[in-house]
Amino acid sequence: MIKFENVTKVYNKTVRAVDDISFNVKGGEIVGFIGPNGSGKTTTMKMLTGIIRADVGKITVNGFNVRKEPIKAKESIGYIADSPDMFLRLKGTEFLDLIGDIYHVPTDKRQKRIKEFAERFELSEALSSQIMSYSHGMRQKIMVIAALMHDPPVWILDEPMVGLDPKSAFELKQMMRDHAKAGNAVFFSTHVLEVAEKLCDRVIIIKKGNILFDGTLEKLESTSKNESLEKIFLELTEK
Amino acid sequence: MSIYLKLVKALISTVEPSTEEKSYNKIFYRIMGFIAVFGIMLPMAFFVGVVIYALTQPLVSQGSGQNAVEMFMHLISVFSFIFGLNVIFSVFYFSGDIENLLPLPLKSYQIIGSKFTAALISESVMEFIVIIAAFAGYILASGRSWWSWILSVFGMLTLPIIPLAYCAIICMLIMLLSGFIKNKDTVNKITGFLTLGVVIGIAILVSKMGGLDTNKLVEALSDPNNPLLNVMNCIFPQVHFLVSAMVNNTFINLIFYIAVNGLAIAVFLIIAEAVYFKTAVGINYVAGKKKSKDKIISSFKMHNPCVTYLKKEFKILFRTPAYFTNCIIINLIWPVFLYIVYLLNGKTNFLDNFIYGIHNGNEESVLILILAISALSVLITAANCIASSALTREGKHFAFMKYIPLSYIAQINVKALVSIIISGAGMIIYVIAAAVYLNLGIKMSIFCCMVSLLSVTFVSYFGIFMDSVNPKLVWDDELNALRGNYNVFFNMAVAILLEAVTCAGAYLLFKFTSLGSLVIIIMLFIFLMILNTVSYLLCSYKATANIDKLSV
Repeated sequence: MIKFENVTKVYNKTVRAVDDISFNVKGGEIVGFIGPNGSGKTTTMKMLTGIIRADVGKITVNGFNVRKEPIKAKESIGYIADSPDMFLRLKGTEFLDLIGDIYHVPTDKRQKRIKEFAERFELSEALSSQIMSYSHGMRQKIMVIAALMHDPPVWILDEPMVGLDPKSAFELKQMMRDHAKAGNAVFFSTHVLEVAEKLCDRVIIIKKGNILFDGTLEKLESTSKNESLEKIFLELTEK
Repeated sequence: MSIYLKLVKALISTVEPSTEEKSYNKIFYRIMGFIAVFGIMLPMAFFVGVVIYALTQPLVSQGSGQNAVEMFMHLISVFSFIFGLNVIFSVFYFSGDIENLLPLPLKSYQIIGSKFTAALISESVMEFIVIIAAFAGYILASGRSWWSWILSVFGMLTLPIIPLAYCAIICMLIMLLSGFIKNKDTVNKITGFLTLGVVIGIAILVSKMGGLDTNKLVEALSDPNNPLLNVMNCIFPQVHFLVSAMVNNTFINLIFYIAVNGLAIAVFLIIAEAVYFKTAVGINYVAGKKKSKDKIISSFKMHNPCVTYLKKEFKILFRTPAYFTNCIIINLIWPVFLYIVYLLNGKTNFLDNFIYGIHNGNEESVLILILAISALSVLITAANCIASSALTREGKHFAFMKYIPLSYIAQINVKALVSIIISGAGMIIYVIAAAVYLNLGIKMSIFCCMVSLLSVTFVSYFGIFMDSVNPKLVWDDELNALRGNYNVFFNMAVAILLEAVTCAGAYLLFKFTSLGSLVIIIMLFIFLMILNTVSYLLCSYKATANIDKLSV
């Protein structure tokens, strides 16, 4: 569902943020994208969503080339950005309606999904207020609802757990599992290794724009005897 | 002191316009900068200098040579005060840095003093040029010495202090007294209306004066006890002390000048020390009215995405105080300013002849009317900067434009439509008012509206293209998206220059060829259509490509 083929991104002709990387995410998979700060995670995710243009290589989402068929590719994606501070002057209802209209979500489906998500995240009552009055966690919750409202086959989540309370984080993890079970793809970045450990079918570790590891957690753990994921990660990324 | 200076430096860096590293954009910016400096700033400064020179010369022989420059500096102070209110409110209470500054172990006066200085420097650049030009006109006309030149440079940098100090004191007192208003956005919006109120007040005052012509103005200024000047000297005493220091070559007036400025700063800092923390802490945005869950859920309905996007743009413009004042209220302020200019001109032969000509279908008058409507439409659309800041205003969430499945040109069209609706609606009201006042026929009125709309549409699309070249996406508070944005200024400079050339060309064609006004008006119409097509194509191809290339 997500296909990266020899993708490179260079900033200011000098900084190779992403250097000739290739990977796949298949339907039914939850893939964690892990790496230290400045490793190229967000750049990769932004190229995937069409925010940043890749200099070299081909990116395909749900069978659509991100460059050649951007609208169809974007319609297939549910994206949560790394910052939830968006459209703070709009009310929650207005923001969700905007997103619903942009992604052509019919009225009945929209009402059903918003009701379900708002109850799971305990956000129903706040929806009639401006997003400006929300806490960081509430902003993150409304971004999650907005990204997933149109039921896209591909979820791309940049640090989705940041700011969420334990119950909401649990709900989101459950939603990610359910979404993958239904044959969809979930690709998310995280700094929390425990989340990756409990949730992912596969992890991709990136450092300085290069993929260091791409495989299952079992495969990763087998590279080092009796060591925690944290230690393995540190060993890999600090080489 | 070093903390204060470091804070000033840090605060100024957040309002500095962004610079583009790509070479083709550098060239583009240099060309735009050249047009802005040589096409707008220097001609305006030259014009101000010439006016003050012309007014001062006849007054010198009557011993009241300083009155013209003194009156002009009062006018500048009034302008500083009017436009400073909104700036100070934004900088003191609504900028993003407050949350970072308040927890630091700093005194109120350190925070507020540095914020005040940063606002003074960043807001007064254009004012500095006008002040120095006016002093140059005065010094050349009155033959003053080198001492006056030194004082004029000193005055250029320090004259806006007192008007801004008044703004600061008023803002802090409003915030102190407005504790009962829960939503602080409301307070900020009130300043928008307050600004409009001050401008309308000036219009009423001027209308009561019954108009001034140049002779009357010189006569009034030659009176050593000019009552208006006396009143203004009480409100802005620094002006009189500075000009007197120039005239008399004395230190005592300079000392008085420094003392009144020092006093204003001291009063402002004392009030800040007592009030600022109380008023800045706890700025809140209240939650909306509570609704039942069912009511909230049933409110979600499917609409056309472009209509919803349009509504989103309007809501953000109207709900964000800095945008509300600078993009919406400004449309109401400009016509009042023009009305003041009209009143100041009084009943002149030109206006009488013009109105008489319109009533009698005089070709020249009709042409002037059409050109004036086109020029005013361009000026208002460029000045409200709705289009030329359309991408910049997206700021941190610019990426949203890029990851949603809505084409860039569709989004640009919606953004242009917002500018067309707001600028066009204002203009059409003024055109209808002019049509009624000048007794234009229906056909002529419709034609005037069409010319106005074509002018508005061209500037709207052109403004978005200009902003797409290098939008300033990193800003701390919304006011910086408008003020610290070169694109707004460049768009205004290019649009005004292009319109000036068009109007002058059309008028010269009428005067020096055998072409009738109807032919020239049709040519203008076609020219505006071409400009619209070009600006739309620029948006379709260049602006969309610029957005696509931007890495955010």
